[in-house]
Amino acid sequence: MLAIGVLILSPLIAGCILLCCRGDISRNVIVALSSVVIALASIYVFVSGITSGPQFFTFESQIVDVVCTIVGALLSIIVLAFSIKYKNIWAFLLACIQLVGSLFFDLTMASGISVPQSLYFDNLTLVMVLIIGIVGCSICVYACGYMEDFQAIHANEKDRRPIFFAIMYVFLSGMYLLVFSNNMSWMFTGWEITTVCSFLLISYTRTQEAIHNAFRQIIMNMAGGIAFLAAMMYVVVNIHTLNFDAFLHTGVLDPALVLFPVVCFSFAGITKAAQMPFHTWLLGAMVAPTPTSALLHSSTMVKAGVFMLIKMAPLYAVSPVPSLMLILIGGITFCLASFIAISQSNAKRVLAYSTVANLGLIVALAGVGTAEAIWAAIFLIVFHAVAKSLMFLCVGTAEHHIGSRNIEEMDQLFQRMPKLSRAMMIGAMIMFIAPFGMLVAKWATLVTLIDSQQYALIFLMLFGSVATFAFWAKWLGKLAGVSGDPENIEGTVHKSERFAIGLMLVIALVLSATIPLSSAFVVEPYLVYVFGASHVALGPDMLVCASILTVAVAIVMLTGMHGNKQTRHIDAYFSGVAKNADLRTYVGAKGQVYAATQRNFYLDNWFGEARITPIADISTICVIVICFAIAIGHIFGLV
Amino acid sequence: MFFTIIGICIGSVLFALLGYLIGGFVEGCDRRISARMQGRVGPKIRQPFWDISKLFKKEKASTNPSENTYITCALVLLVISGGVFFAGSNLLLSIILSTLSTLFFIMAAYSSRSPFSTAGGAREILQVLSYEPMEYFMAIIFYIVIGSFNVITVSLQPQPLIVYGWPVFIGMLFIQLVKLRKSPFDLSTSHAAHQELLQGTLTEMSGPALAKAKLMHWYETVLMLGWTAMFFLDARPESWIVAVVAAIVAWFLDIWIDNNFARVKWQSMISWCWGITLCTSIVNFIFVSLL
Amino acid sequence: MSKPSKSPWVIHYDASSCNGCDIEVLSALTPGFDLERFGVINTGDPKHADVFLVTGGVNTQNISVIQQIYDQMLEPKVVIACGACACSGGVFHSCYNLIGGVDKAIPVDVYVPGCAVHPTQLIDGFIKGLEILDKKAALMSSKKKNKQISQSSGVQAIPSPEAAEHKENSLNQETPVQKEETKRGA
Repeated sequence: MLAIGVLILSPLIAGCILLCCRGDISRNVIVALSSVVIALASIYVFVSGITSGPQFFTFESQIVDVVCTIVGALLSIIVLAFSIKYKNIWAFLLACIQLVGSLFFDLTMASGISVPQSLYFDNLTLVMVLIIGIVGCSICVYACGYMEDFQAIHANEKDRRPIFFAIMYVFLSGMYLLVFSNNMSWMFTGWEITTVCSFLLISYTRTQEAIHNAFRQIIMNMAGGIAFLAAMMYVVVNIHTLNFDAFLHTGVLDPALVLFPVVCFSFAGITKAAQMPFHTWLLGAMVAPTPTSALLHSSTMVKAGVFMLIKMAPLYAVSPVPSLMLILIGGITFCLASFIAISQSNAKRVLAYSTVANLGLIVALAGVGTAEAIWAAIFLIVFHAVAKSLMFLCVGTAEHHIGSRNIEEMDQLFQRMPKLSRAMMIGAMIMFIAPFGMLVAKWATLVTLIDSQQYALIFLMLFGSVATFAFWAKWLGKLAGVSGDPENIEGTVHKSERFAIGLMLVIALVLSATIPLSSAFVVEPYLVYVFGASHVALGPDMLVCASILTVAVAIVMLTGMHGNKQTRHIDAYFSGVAKNADLRTYVGAKGQVYAATQRNFYLDNWFGEARITPIADISTICVIVICFAIAIGHIFGLV
Repeated sequence: MFFTIIGICIGSVLFALLGYLIGGFVEGCDRRISARMQGRVGPKIRQPFWDISKLFKKEKASTNPSENTYITCALVLLVISGGVFFAGSNLLLSIILSTLSTLFFIMAAYSSRSPFSTAGGAREILQVLSYEPMEYFMAIIFYIVIGSFNVITVSLQPQPLIVYGWPVFIGMLFIQLVKLRKSPFDLSTSHAAHQELLQGTLTEMSGPALAKAKLMHWYETVLMLGWTAMFFLDARPESWIVAVVAAIVAWFLDIWIDNNFARVKWQSMISWCWGITLCTSIVNFIFVSLL
Repeated sequence: MSKPSKSPWVIHYDASSCNGCDIEVLSALTPGFDLERFGVINTGDPKHADVFLVTGGVNTQNISVIQQIYDQMLEPKVVIACGACACSGGVFHSCYNLIGGVDKAIPVDVYVPGCAVHPTQLIDGFIKGLEILDKKAALMSSKKKNKQISQSSGVQAIPSPEAAEHKENSLNQETPVQKEETKRGA
């Protein structure tokens, strides 16, 4: 339990130190040290936790309760201050509601209720701990080099890096608090810390766009937070507990009793996980520096949403209304976000839509709520976290070196930044193609959906999956292009960036190659613990086949593509009129020289944002409204 | 587990050999029949083998160093995919491996940065976009009807898959045209000269690399014939004859369509393919759940 | 052991032909003569082709095009000049912009005369070209040990001895064939 305390507090302490630290070198040292400490502590907790099995800790503390109340109030006040400063009425209103609501809740309703076992962990928590500890800290390390470049590019702006790093670490702290707490009130504090931290990170540059997008994020997530609060109030009134585990057990026995809080929690999870119609906040978060995006997309924030939904999976298995809500919203989000991703040329937007889509799949799987589904969902979380952070880090570095985040500008990246391109290609392949981890999880998802007869979801998933293929394949194609002999500009990449990218790459590949082990020793015990029995959609033989192929493909992608010296070089075919085939120039009919340029397809008329987003918004809003109507009607005995 | 992997290895080796022979023979027949349909005599049946052997003996030359790696990967993965299928192992694994193989093929096309082959690669992605869902629906219906993804189990069934899976079979027949790049869906490449894309994806491949791409096409053809035949297999030994005949008929239909229809635009391709995929799979889901 | 002549793939380039020869080349590939019987495919892509059929003479505009296409073909390869213009410039030989026959741009292996060249003549020349193709292939495989595959830049027009010999033969035959052509035309 001491280690848990260390995990929750050490990022907080590191954050405080970083807040006071203005020198580059001292900052880098502190970041490196604290990251090592947090990562090692995470690994220690993971290993000891896996060997000891799930545990609840008898820990109750008035002090922590008070601190949580104060922190919650402070967070609301921060948002209030920002909303007043930037005159945002909606954020102001929501912050007021939340401030009043949470104070009322903490001081009156929750005061009499004690949760003897406030801290706990099970294998899902441990998986999250590892993701937060290793992926999150790698991103912090990456940020050292990245923010140096970023500050150099924005030299005429105020250096706010101390607060940036401080928030990054506080963010991790909030995540740890969220995943370890069994006390819903503490969970809520963790939940709100992540919300407000991402608000502050998104608004980091203080440009008009950043502020606008940050407020969009805070409004959507505070709506989710208020739903969370409402659910807690309902639980306290009707079940008289703040023990999350007890709530789950009560819910499984009496689904009708917990219908309203489950719908509210689901809503909170959906907003946090950036599901349609709330996906716009995640897209808006692109304005922030890349480490922020990486952190939001991979290890924190959105994962907090799906973490809670997966926790509640046993409830969805017995409760059709929230289950249907998650399945429909997740399925629609997966399919339509993948479609929209085809129409995007901005690398970070493609990644954002891909995140939204994959989280949709996880949300839908949580909604299915069977052991098979949760197996797939957990692996989706893990591989998504690692591969997506790898992709973001690569794109961020590429952006600083080629001056654009547009995929169309990534011509010849394979020669200009060979190692980075290989990492990026592998990251992309892990995201969408067999035999890598993500697709193994999707494969299991498909089997799960057939077994649980979710036919509608199968359609959404399959069409979404081919769209996924389309947008990743054209990106990979762009990266695969080789011509001429452009200058290698990889030498100027910071050491911290190299380290973080390399680490993510190694972890991603090792995880992909060791699925059979992680399935047997980490995920299946969790399924046994939660569902009483573990059922994996894929046989061990298929998992082993996937690992063998992963190793083979990874070796090819890392070491291949060098060509043979005996092979003669011939220019690309330009109908015989090439001027310089390396530069793609050719001679026109009247002797002028043209350059042949090529863009990928974007199918904007089919899959453009303008066309798909309204469909997505309307359908998902309808689902949410109907589910809430049923849940509220249920309270009053109408349904 | 051990036996699965050994089975896949043996299957892949056998598929590499037999698929080569059958694929070349089928290709030779294809060219001959196509020639006859066009009022020509056509080449000898052995012609494709001569072509491949010639291509392997040509000088090694390439626009870029990566191409060979990609195309070799694509070929090997396709052979493994076929090996998985013909070893009677997991159908879904076979499908996803053939997708991976196609991805490598697409990357090989893009790797030259040539306008022709890049455009071909982009169109190949659109073709995948068109045919991929149908393949998965085939596997899903297979799983629902047979109760397993293992291809070998069809040979234990009292009734062939076609009895319950006829709608997806129709869909598969349609998709086959796209998968094998037959006109009207030969968007990404074409054996006919002087088209707007030249040879599309194949434009920059030459000598041994081109030979590998051609071999891929043979193996793909055999794999598709295998998928067609699978629908007609059951526990009775005579069903094997039926299956072979059915595969031949389906393949003949492909050639006939190839020779009689002009190429369509990608818009038509995707909307037709997705339309047929949706119709046939929905009908099949309803059909299966009614029975 | 199959020879490259078993599957000669063709690229056809119209240099500055009057289109007469082009039509005859295409006619040799279409059902009437059906060159595909012998495995000939008109690829339209130099990287796939073994045989380069050029019709028309070389002028200042297209000399680089011919050279590029020739460069992008893989060894072993043969060049067949189809028709009088491709052989020597033909009736255009003294035009201000014309450089001459194809051999001014790249080494030519077989000269097939005729204005326009008759498909049967073309097939005949083709078969001669295939013999050269096989010889080149054999030479290449024997040279392979020394890794000295000729990287012909194709700028200098020096026909191989066999080709020159063949040219003589062809030129001797030119007159009767042309007469025959004239009769047929009449």
